[in-house]
Amino acid sequence: MTALQERARRIVLSTVSSDSHTWNLVFLQLLFEEHGYEVVNLGPCVPDAVLLDAVREHAPDLVVISTVNGHGHLDGARVVRKLRADPLTSSVPAVIGGKLGIRGAGDGDKVQALIDAGFDAVYTDSADAAELPAQLELLTATGTAGHRTHECVA
Amino acid sequence: MNGHSDAPVQEPVQDLQEYVQLAKDAGKLVVQPRMGFATPEEMAAGLRAVARVNAGNARTIGTITLDSYTRVGDHIGARRALAGGHPLNGYPIVAHGAHLTSAVAAHAVDDRVEGATPIPVQVRHGSASPRAIFRTSIMAGLTASEGGPVSYCLPYGRTPLAESVRNWDAATVELADSARARGARAHLETFGGCMLGQLCPPSLLVALSVLEALFFAQRGIPTVSLSYAQQTNAVQDVEALAALRLLAAEMLPLEVDWHVVLYTYMGVFPRTAAGAGLLLDASAELAVRGGAERLIVKTAAEADRIPTLAENIAALERAGRVSDLAARTDRGVPWASEVDCSEVLAEARALITAVADGGDVGRALLRAFAGGVLDVPFCLHRDNLGLTQTRIDDDGRLRWARTGRLPLPSRGHADSRIGAQRLLSMLRYTADRHDRAALPDGRPHAVPSGGGEPYRVAVVGSGPRGLAVVERLAVRLSADPPARPVEIHLIDAVEVGCGRIWRTDQPPWFLMNTVAGEVTMFSGPPDGGPARPGAGPSLAQWWQEVDADCPGPNGYAPRPLYGRYLRFLLDTVERGLPDGVTLRRRKAEVVDLTPEQGGYLLRTADGETLRADRVVLTTGHPRPRLDRVQQRLADFAWERPELRYIRGDSASDMPLHLVRGGTKVGVLGLGLSFYDVMVALTIGRGGRFAEDGDDLRYVASGDEPVIVAGSRSGVPIPARGRNQKPSRYVYRPRVFTANRVRELRRKHRLDFRQDVLPLLTDEMRLVYYATAVRSRFGEDVAERFTAEAAAGITAIEALAAHFGVDDLPPLDLEALSRPFADRRFAGRADFTRAVLDLIEDDLRHAEQGNVDGPRKAACDVLRDTRGVLRLAVDFSGLTPESHRGDFLAWFTPLASFLAAGPPLLRLRQTKALIESGVLVVAGPSVSFDADQEIGRFVVSSPQVSDDRIELDAVIDGRIPAPDLARDLAPLPSRLREAGLWTGYVNAHGDASFATGGVAVTGAPFHPVRRDGRPETGLYVLGIPSEHTRWFTQVGSGRPGDWTEFTRDADAIAASLASGVPVVERAGELL
Repeated sequence: MTALQERARRIVLSTVSSDSHTWNLVFLQLLFEEHGYEVVNLGPCVPDAVLLDAVREHAPDLVVISTVNGHGHLDGARVVRKLRADPLTSSVPAVIGGKLGIRGAGDGDKVQALIDAGFDAVYTDSADAAELPAQLELLTATGTAGHRTHECVA
Repeated sequence: MNGHSDAPVQEPVQDLQEYVQLAKDAGKLVVQPRMGFATPEEMAAGLRAVARVNAGNARTIGTITLDSYTRVGDHIGARRALAGGHPLNGYPIVAHGAHLTSAVAAHAVDDRVEGATPIPVQVRHGSASPRAIFRTSIMAGLTASEGGPVSYCLPYGRTPLAESVRNWDAATVELADSARARGARAHLETFGGCMLGQLCPPSLLVALSVLEALFFAQRGIPTVSLSYAQQTNAVQDVEALAALRLLAAEMLPLEVDWHVVLYTYMGVFPRTAAGAGLLLDASAELAVRGGAERLIVKTAAEADRIPTLAENIAALERAGRVSDLAARTDRGVPWASEVDCSEVLAEARALITAVADGGDVGRALLRAFAGGVLDVPFCLHRDNLGLTQTRIDDDGRLRWARTGRLPLPSRGHADSRIGAQRLLSMLRYTADRHDRAALPDGRPHAVPSGGGEPYRVAVVGSGPRGLAVVERLAVRLSADPPARPVEIHLIDAVEVGCGRIWRTDQPPWFLMNTVAGEVTMFSGPPDGGPARPGAGPSLAQWWQEVDADCPGPNGYAPRPLYGRYLRFLLDTVERGLPDGVTLRRRKAEVVDLTPEQGGYLLRTADGETLRADRVVLTTGHPRPRLDRVQQRLADFAWERPELRYIRGDSASDMPLHLVRGGTKVGVLGLGLSFYDVMVALTIGRGGRFAEDGDDLRYVASGDEPVIVAGSRSGVPIPARGRNQKPSRYVYRPRVFTANRVRELRRKHRLDFRQDVLPLLTDEMRLVYYATAVRSRFGEDVAERFTAEAAAGITAIEALAAHFGVDDLPPLDLEALSRPFADRRFAGRADFTRAVLDLIEDDLRHAEQGNVDGPRKAACDVLRDTRGVLRLAVDFSGLTPESHRGDFLAWFTPLASFLAAGPPLLRLRQTKALIESGVLVVAGPSVSFDADQEIGRFVVSSPQVSDDRIELDAVIDGRIPAPDLARDLAPLPSRLREAGLWTGYVNAHGDASFATGGVAVTGAPFHPVRRDGRPETGLYVLGIPSEHTRWFTQVGSGRPGDWTEFTRDADAIAASLASGVPVVERAGELL
């Protein structure tokens, strides 16, 4: 094993710029830590630039964006486009989940729009958090941004 | 600093602090919504609607809650959203400007009332940089707002704490100054008692609230409120509110006026409307019990969206109703004075003193957060260290899981780690608990509305218990009109509307045993409107209306007069029934009741039948079969036409005319009934009492018999102390508290002498000595004595010595209730002298009053703590042995002797009758026997030498105790045979005690059938259920706080009302 692989896998955990909720972030941090990840939690109302800087600085294995204020489908798409546009951050796997302003499986267009914008997976409100670590395991293991899954609804 | 002196100025609206203080003085909780609408029109309508609620139970304050653009200072964004017609989640005060806002705020007045005063309006915002918001508010005449440098920074957003403190510093100073310049007082409420809304231990919330209040005070804010948000455990919350008050009083400068504001739960809200309603109710109750002056409510819609105006108003009205009830009912939340808040207090004090060193609180807060002296659990803000965590313990209390660097007094068990799943369940703890509690399990199901057939409720027995149920049912049906006709059938064998004991055709010399001011049958006081269910006069108030000679609230009303009052109540209730509800009165004896098709078929003695869906059995005093001894005396008289035996009963129902003048009549018992018999055989025979100096003299008519009375104690039961307590008086126990008893009961079955009596006697002795301390050294010293005695560190006797009142004779209940226990008397004259001395001594004590006289004040504790005692005793609180032996055989007679006394007048009359020779007190431990040889009754006392008195008649002057097995009346017999009524057995381990009372469930008091299941269509209240519950022979409610009397009736009314569907109303929570 190389030194790089021995390092704990790292997640940058964030929300979008308009969202001041934090309990979702607190919960996910504990969940990821229990599964052996090192978590950089950026807290509420994260401006796009702060997220990009954090990804550049921490070089995470995964970016997780959790948002529950209903603006996720707009704010999330904008920030992931910026992420993909920067060569330093373009290849990091990134997922988004929460209350995204998407009403269930019927809103397939919005899910596809988020995938098209650059997310590797989209978890809507009805996803089961308990299954999240296993899926993220898969993502960080296969780990490229080129491999994109569709909406994950448990 | 403020260049807006020429800005439009609205006349300052009412001072918020003063408004809250006035409400507090009136015993009202102030309730307030979190309400904000984007447009001025909606906002104005909202404030008007809130002002309109400001009547009846609730006092309201209006709220303008701002939108999130304005919160972060993006006023351009807010204008753009307004212009584009995009919805905002609040009122954009800066975008609308001061002029428009002052016009909006002017609508915060009840426009239906000519000249009504506007209610105060508070601006709520959530901003870490509130200067522009405060400026606009002040220009609009709005001087009250809220927030805090910590609480509006750490939970939201990314503003550095140092920047927030700077912003708040400048904004607060400017707010204070500009309000003052306009002749008004600024008000700021801390948000520190909420922080992230949930999962912050109460001690830290209390500390932050106090620190933010200090921050405001240092910047010249003259009036503040300290917030605290409802958490997971009601008792812990009461403790926190108590600690918050103590610390605020201690730390805030004297010139700052303050109050405490409670927030209805701010965390994850229940998903069901019913669960949300319960949580709101719990917060209103908590506010009242915990002593908060103001409550900010939430609505049932909270879980998923911003509530509508109607939902806000419904929540306010509901909180107002519940808070009014919470002051009078008891659902298990203790009063602030009853809890031990030392744990919260010690932690909060340690935190505050570690932060505030007397210097500037703003700088101190920055230092504290940087060093982890303050550290908010689960807060992700960069300036929060994040080394602490919270857990919810098994008892539902919030405690520290990890304490990080907090300078707490104790760090026990504070190093566990909270995992993700645990966090999730903790976040949902309160929501889940209330959703579960709202499940309809166990409640009787509503009867389907079929074919216009009315929902019929029969109430059997129209004494005070039955009437109280009818009154509460009327209140409830008026509040939630039924969607189907309802018929209330009130049935009484003697007189409908007052029942046998209070029938209106009995002689006026029978008096009540409670002063008129302490008696009411309306479940709420008169409110200026017409008397109606829920609001009407006390007996004293009504008596004053109908009788110019009414002696006032401390007079004792004749029983037939109370009967008239009861009938007035029933007439009033009938007039106040809502459409579709009718009252049917029926004078008949119900002799049979059988279950039939989901309801009951009742049959009366005159052969009529009635089908009812639900039946309330309030049948009152029984006439049980005579016991063996009584039967022997009765048989003896039956065989001899010249002798009479009159069984125990209400005196007005005794055939006393059979006792001829000039004969000798024995009366067994010297309790309350004895006095009735005594008066009936003297005043009732044409005798009268004349004033003779300080004494009374009996002027005989010649038609009275000689009365020879005796009992176990040999003493006529002492008088109640002259009443000095106001009608709405409520005694708050210091030692014998409801909480303490509940705790004891949680642990084990109680032994009355070992577990309960010591607390009760300590409470009595505390009052005994405190009364003496007050009369000698004044109220202040008495308060100190009471506080020290309640703390329980020093024995009360030792404390009494320390305060210089140990010259009082010790308060010995046994000796007081059996003064002749070990005495022997040489003869009749000797004993009579002793009785007269005792009566004179008692009159002296009674004259001193039940507040100023140590002995009577102490004995009054027995009356005042009956509710606490019930908590210990009811539903098998005691072991069977202790229930039967200690409690019923020993304590109950002792307590009635010391506390249930007649009016003082009766003792003066007794003395006069003894002196005139019409009354002879036979002695202690008397026995009444039938002498076969001489063919007469005889009475003798083993303690009075050579004295045997022969009698022509014996009257049992004791009210028979209920005993289901011996009850021969048709209805109880039928119910017993059918297995619908069973005798209550107190069983524990191998021991059991068949009490003789009807077995009932807890509220709403369904009888327990032979198969052990509740009969859910039937209810039993009052005397038949004696022994299952204790002291049921209560004949009225009390003004002021609800007693069990009203509470129990209401529980049954609630259950009755649930049997009929209600008309759905928009905006209602339930």
